[in-house]
Formats: sequence, C-alpha cells, structure tokens
Amino acid sequence: MTVPESLAAVAPLAVAYLERQPWYQVVMGSAARRTPTLVSAESIRPGPPGLARLLLEAGESQFQLLLGWRPAGEAAALLGGREAALLGPLAIGDEPMLAYDALADDVLCAELLAHVTSGAEHATMVRRVSTLVSHASLVFDERLFMKCYRVLEPGPRPEVEVMLRLDEIGFNAMLAPVANWRVDGCDLALVREFQPSALEGRLLAFTSLRDLLAHACAPDDTQPVERIRAETELASADPDAQTASAGGDLAAEMRRLGSTTARLHLALAEAFGVADATAETFAAALGDGRGSEAVLTRIPAGGAGRVVRLHGDYHLRRVMRSEAGWLVAGFGDDPLHGSEPGAGRAAVRRGSPLEDLADMCVSLRGVAREALGQRAPEETETATHLAHAWIRRNESALLDGYERTDGVAQLLPGDAEVTRLLIAALAREKELRYEATSSDT
Amino acid sequence: MTLDERGRSPVAPGASEAPATSWRQLEDDPRWYERAVFYELVPRGFYDSNGDGVGDLRGIVEKLDYLAWLGVDCLWLLPFYPSPLRDGGYDVADYWSVAPDCGSVDDVALLVDEAHRRGIRVIADLVINHTSDQHPWFVESRSSRDNPKADWYVWGDDDQRWSDIRVIFCDAEPSNWTFDPVRQQYYWHRFFHHQPDLNYENPEVRAAILSVVRFWLDLGLDGFRLDAAAYLYQRDGTSGENLPQTHEFLRQMRAEVDRDYPNRVLLAEVNQWPADVVDYFGDGDECHMCFHFPLMPRMFMAVRREQRFPITEILAQTPSLPDGCQWGIFLRNHDELTLEMVTDEERDYMYAEYARDPRMRRNLGIRRRLAPLVENDRGVAELLHALLLSLPGSPVLYYGDELLMGDNIYLGDRDGVRTPMQWTPDRNGGFSRADFAQLVLPPLMDPVYGYQAVNVEAGIRDSSSFLHWLQRMLAVRRQHPIFATGAIEVLPADNPSVLAYVRNSKDGEERSVLCVNNLSRFAQAAEISLARWRDTVPVELIGRAQFPRIEDDAYHVTLGPHGFYWLELEAQR
Repeated sequence: MTVPESLAAVAPLAVAYLERQPWYQVVMGSAARRTPTLVSAESIRPGPPGLARLLLEAGESQFQLLLGWRPAGEAAALLGGREAALLGPLAIGDEPMLAYDALADDVLCAELLAHVTSGAEHATMVRRVSTLVSHASLVFDERLFMKCYRVLEPGPRPEVEVMLRLDEIGFNAMLAPVANWRVDGCDLALVREFQPSALEGRLLAFTSLRDLLAHACAPDDTQPVERIRAETELASADPDAQTASAGGDLAAEMRRLGSTTARLHLALAEAFGVADATAETFAAALGDGRGSEAVLTRIPAGGAGRVVRLHGDYHLRRVMRSEAGWLVAGFGDDPLHGSEPGAGRAAVRRGSPLEDLADMCVSLRGVAREALGQRAPEETETATHLAHAWIRRNESALLDGYERTDGVAQLLPGDAEVTRLLIAALAREKELRYEATSSDT
Repeated sequence: MTLDERGRSPVAPGASEAPATSWRQLEDDPRWYERAVFYELVPRGFYDSNGDGVGDLRGIVEKLDYLAWLGVDCLWLLPFYPSPLRDGGYDVADYWSVAPDCGSVDDVALLVDEAHRRGIRVIADLVINHTSDQHPWFVESRSSRDNPKADWYVWGDDDQRWSDIRVIFCDAEPSNWTFDPVRQQYYWHRFFHHQPDLNYENPEVRAAILSVVRFWLDLGLDGFRLDAAAYLYQRDGTSGENLPQTHEFLRQMRAEVDRDYPNRVLLAEVNQWPADVVDYFGDGDECHMCFHFPLMPRMFMAVRREQRFPITEILAQTPSLPDGCQWGIFLRNHDELTLEMVTDEERDYMYAEYARDPRMRRNLGIRRRLAPLVENDRGVAELLHALLLSLPGSPVLYYGDELLMGDNIYLGDRDGVRTPMQWTPDRNGGFSRADFAQLVLPPLMDPVYGYQAVNVEAGIRDSSSFLHWLQRMLAVRRQHPIFATGAIEVLPADNPSVLAYVRNSKDGEERSVLCVNNLSRFAQAAEISLARWRDTVPVELIGRAQFPRIEDDAYHVTLGPHGFYWLELEAQR
C-alpha cells in the first residue's frame, strides 16, 4: 500500500505536524488559525523506509512536506533525540509504522537527492544546516547543497530561474546549479554546488573591521581621537597610507567583489536584456526624495546608464569568498526572514545596477554598526572615526573594482561623480528604510 | 652545553672538531631532495677564511659544523665562478674554474667531501642562459661575423625582432637587444646587457653546457640550481619563455645526469605560474625540482591581510606533480621578493605594505630580508617558518634568516640582502679578520639588526633564540617525512584568519598531520571540519601533548596571536 491510498490516514498527522512548525506560523501570521488541508501526495519510494511528497494548502499558501516512514522500532531508534520530527503512527500493511519528517533521515535524504537529480548524484553523508523559513538546507558529502522548499510558490521561483539562466550563459562566479526539481511548473527543490571552504562575505568584512578597531583602540593610546583624525585625513589624501596602518585590510577583497558584481550585472544584462535608465528610474528608487532632488538634476540627459534585472537582495551574506574568488551564493529566497539592511523580497525586479551596489554599501555599514557595538563606550569616538574611514575605503574599492571591469561602463551613468552621488543617495535611502523597518518591529 | 635530541652537541661557531661519526650519514637515496631542507648561501658573504675581506669556499668548510647542527640537508651555493661581478656572479666569465677570491676547484672538492662527511649535500648555481660579456666565448663571438664562435650567441642586424618579449630587468634595461660596436650587430640578452644570451640553436653550445655539467658533477657536486631556465630559446610570435625546445634541452640534460650521476638533483629557477612551471618536471624526466615562486609573496600577503585566501587560492591553482618531483619553496632568497607572479593589483598592495620606501623596490619586487619585512616580529617570523616547513615542497632557507638578520637598502642592486653573515659580536661580526674597508660588503651595524646584537654566537648562547627555535623545528620536520612527501588537503574553517590543512601520507598508511595557523595578530578560535578523523586524538608534534578527542564533525581550536599547531592525528588505541 502506498501513501496516496492511505491519504486519509496521513492527513491529520501531516496537518498537526505542519501547524507545530515555527516557519508555518511565521508564514501564516495571524491567519494561522486556518486549518491546512492535505491536497495531494506523491510516492517517491515505496519503502520501508518509505518516502513521499505531501502538498498542503492553507488559505493562499502552499506547503511541501517530505514524509518518511519506517517500522516503529527502527524509526524510534533513528529519531532518538529528534522527536520533534515525528508525525505519528501509520498503518501500512500489517506492520506498525512510524511516520516522520523525511529530512531527519539520512537514508531518505540521499534517496531524495538521487530522485531530484534523476539518479545522477548519490551521496553517503548528509549534513543539515541552519534552516530558514522558506526552505530546509542539506549538504551532501560536503560537495552538494540542496534547498528543499517548504513554502511553495506558484510557477518557477525567480531564484531558480536566474541561476539556471546565468549558468546557461556561462556565468561562473556562483555556486552552480546541478539540478532542480520542478513539478507542474512549481519548484520543489534546488541542488547546487557546495564549497565547504568558502566563507560568507560578512564574516570577512567583520573580521577586518573588528581587528582594525582592536588595534587602533588600544588602551595605551593617550590621544587616540587626534591620532585617528590625523590618520584618516592622511588617508583621504593617500589611501595607501591608511592601508599601511590597518593590517587585515579588506580593500583588495572589495575590489575583487566589485569586479565579480560587475560580471554578475553583465551576465544578467545578457540573460534578461537591458533598457535605458532615466532620471525617473532613480527617482522611483529614491522614493519621496529626502534631499535627493539635487542629485537627480545632475544626471546627464541620455546618460543614466541602463536598467537590468537586479540581484535585488545583494549584501555581504549573499556573497562568499572561495579559493576561486568571490561567488554569488544566493539570489535571495527567504523573503520572510530577511535580516540584512536592504533585504527585501527577491522578486523579479529591474533597475539600475547602482541599486545592488548601494545594497552592498549598506551592508558594509551594517557590519560597521555591529563592530562598533562591541567597543567600550569610552572608545566610541575613536572607533567611529575609524569605522567611517573603513567604510569609505571599502566602498570606494568596491566601486573601483566594479568600474574597472571591461564592458561595464555601458551600464553606468556617463558621469563618474554622478554615479557616486547616486549610489550614496540610494544607500542613504535604503538605510533610512531599514531603520524605519527596524523601529517598527 | 646540552645535547640535542640526536645526541649531538651544539657546537660553537667556527668549531669543526666534532668527530665525523656523530653526524648523519649521507643516504644512498635518489629521492633525497624530496625530504631535504636546503640552505642558500652567498660564498663571498658567508665566512672569510684567509682574511682578505671576501668570504670563500674554505670559509664555508669551517662553518659546516654549524650548518650540520642547524639541521640543513643541502647547501645551495651562489655562483663562485670567475666573473666581473656585475650581477653577483650570475655573469660567468669561465665555467671551468673558481674565482680566485672564492678559492679554487680543489676547494670545491674539499667542501663537497667535508659536507658529505656531515650528511650534507652541496649544489651550485649554474647559469645556463647567458654568460658575462667577458667570457672568452663572447669575446671571440663579437670579434667578427665569421669566427668559430660567431654563432654561439644570438645576433641580429636590428633590434626589432621579438619586440613583444618582455624586458625582465625593466629598471635597468630599455631593450633585450644591445648594439655591439665591434661586430656592428645587436646581441640578445634577457637580463643585463652585459649578459649576452647563449644561442641554444647551435649544437656546439648545447654540447659545451653539458660538458660544464659533467665537469662539476665529476667533482662531486650533488646537482645544480639552473638559473633562468625558461629563456633558452626564442621564437617569433612567442613570449620567448617556456618554449618546447627549452624543455627538450632540459630533458637531454636530465637524461645524461640520470645515466652517469646517480643521486643528483636539477632544481630549476622558473619564475612562472604553477600551471606553466609543472611543464619543467616533464613526465618526471625533466627537472627534479622547481621553485614555487607565486606561493612566497602570498604567504606574506596572507599574514598582512590576516586571512587565508591568498595562500589557499594559489594552492588550488597548483597542479599535482609527477612522481619523484618536488617543489622548492622559500620565504626569501638572494633576489628581490619577486612580484612578477602576482596581479598588478596584488603588486600595488605588496608595495604599499612592504616597500613604502622606494629604495626597497627593485624591478618588479621588494628587496628586503625576512626580518625587516615582518618588522622584526618574532611571532610572524615563526608563523611564516611554520608555513614554510609544513606546506608541500622542500624548504629553502636563506643564510642569516635563521638569525633574523636585517638588510641594508642603501646598498646598490640586490647587495642589500647579501651582507656578511653575522657570526659573533666581534670585529666585522666575526665574518672576516680583514680591515673593515677591505670587506666585500659592510656588515650590518645598526642598533636593531647589527652584528653586535644579532649573531650566531648570541643565538646559540640564548636557548630561547629564534635560531634554537628553528633548529628544533627542523628536527621535528625531519622526524615526520609526511611534511615532505604527504599530500595536502586544505580544510574548511569558519574563521577567515585561520588556515588549516592536513598532510596525508601517500604510502597507504593512515597517517595525517593537521596544521592550523592563525594569520591574525589577535587570538582566534575556529571550527574545523574533521569528520573523517572522528574519534582520533590529536597529538601536538613538538611537545607531544594530547589534544581533546575529535568527537564531532567540527573541531574547536583556539590559537594565540600568529599561533600555529602541528597535530598528528592518531587513532586512539
């Protein structure tokens, strides 16, 4: 007997399980009282251990559950310490079975990988990494990464679509997609490469500034503020002079990230086309102004650059440094859990590439805020001066690396100073929005 | 005086009375170079045995006990051939003899014999690409267009051919061609204009160079460091580097050496990217060793940026080698810290970080010794040596760096890093009994690096000196051949300042050494993925202390500023 035939028996277990999940409650919010219903089930492996895909609906939202089952004793042993994954007893055949979340079972995870990749990939080791609202994440043999979506979207997910298209045209600065699982036009899972030694950009940035502050805010400094001021003034005239005092400098990395970002935008332009940007493009992005009129008037006529499909949620947690350089690790798919400044729903959005650059600048400022938060109150003045110099230096390196990339000039406004002013205005706007969102919550 | 771990007494500098039986024996092993620690020295700057102000070969003989105590396995001698010395002896004027101020051919034989008695091998620089313009071959070649050696060098009627080939000494030479007023033609030179390139198209030249090789190997030398090996041939429309004809000649040289001279080594100086350098190993039938040039600046860069990627990137780009081949890796050498094999952006960065004074720069490099490069930070020097001794390749030490000797950037060319070895706090640093004015180069006398403070005698007397530390590390490395021949695998660590890798034995034994390095000046913690070694108890190699058992996939390690661990991964019995 397969699951579809015992749908009625599974339904209450699945519904109860779903309702217990924190991510379900986040998605449903105040509508959580609405009872989900089991819509369909598809058997993947008859078992035991058995594996099936369940589709549940609650209001407008659709959810995916991967159901596993084994003989009761076996399942209890397997789930020891992870009882939260248990759904309950299930009668299949004569033997008493226990049903549970299949993602808690290594064997079934490997089975799922083989299924999603049509048998092309097999793995022996499975590691579960921190789960977000929209999906669970699994690492196979430290070389493949699977996003198993829980909250489904009607039609193809923008993230999957972008990655597949960029891969097609040969953009290699990302964790390349290996396979995607799409049923009836709806994306259920995505498998991509995994680089175990790659590190989140935020960690590199934070380390750089943390160490700089630790060095410069040494307690034996008698007149630190004056010294730092002198250094930062010197730095504005000669950035190398400040590098020299920094150690743990990030600018070279930011320059490379700028170049990777430019290549990303060129690839997005090739994949999804371009249009001319105008002053209105920026006016829309800058919202109700707040002092941005001055910069809008300086945009040269016919020289506002291009509009491309944006990454749309581009920040230091979305990029990773690997042995092969910077990689764009994700194209944003956790709209309900965005914690970075500037994070928003990574919907299909087009705009000036300066928007992504501004997002990254905001992200650097977020890192600075976090690092400053760790300094003692009496060090704040010194640290703030230095953090601002650090932000300036790294933002400038990012843009420098971006602008130096072959072919990217066509995407940018014709005037370099206007480009910088626009990025600054966009970043300011994004920061204000972020602060407003933070104070709301 | 305490005995070291091999039961040998540390000897005072200059003493050579220790009975030969207490030294290591020279092993009959054709692959000795895979496990060797090399020590590069400038004969004229090492020790002056006859009081003429110039270091000499007999001087090296007198210091062999010190080198044996230090624990080096092979000496690499910079050129000692007769030379006008316009390029530190790399402008050879006679391949078959020794410059009188360095000694004689008999002294080379004596040095080789005495070194071998102490278990130390000796290789010498061999400049095969070019000669001095004072070499009799060139003197004859330039005398007319039809003399017997007219075709031994590369001559042209104009200076336009091969104009795309880069000028390496771009600070000093405007072109690779120089006009000769005698022969009324241009001659080709990849380096200085007084170093004309030999014409390898001419079979007589190839035969002559091979006879030079045989001459010195017959005398007992253990091999050569082949200078500028990448530039032997020229072809239209190429960079003039790494040409197939060059490889063909090197294979011919290797075949002759293998046939008649067992246990010798050919070490190529090929300043190219690893993917090009591997061609110089051939299928294990070309050079035994090549220097890994791009790794060196990246070790400094990683320490300065306090993150591992400069190193892990270049390791990822380094292909595996044919069996029996080995990299030569180094922190510093007699040349500038060469920045040819970095990107323009990385070069700017290195200049900004390490060569703020323009005098520190030379060609595409930085002319500094190790200690001044790291601002005399002992912790950084130890970390860099820990990397040098544990990354894949045979380490090549540069004389004086074991003392953390300084440099003199006010001396011309690369002489700033070739000042006399500092043996004692006495006159001339114990290097020579000659008058100061007679010395080949002035010894360092500044308050930080001067010989009064930095010298072998003081290093030996002080048991916590860097010299003792390094001697101990070389001994530990020797006990663990896995550092020499093991495979490397970089491990994921969640802290960008931490570089972790394992060296795995290739011989089928399940042995591994985990190396963890903190590139930051602050204490760091890291989680390292060690799933494969679960239930293993790491043992620190130097003190043999046990570390906590690896119980989870991720292993927590804490390191002090610039700290490092070498941990043997042994299964718990």
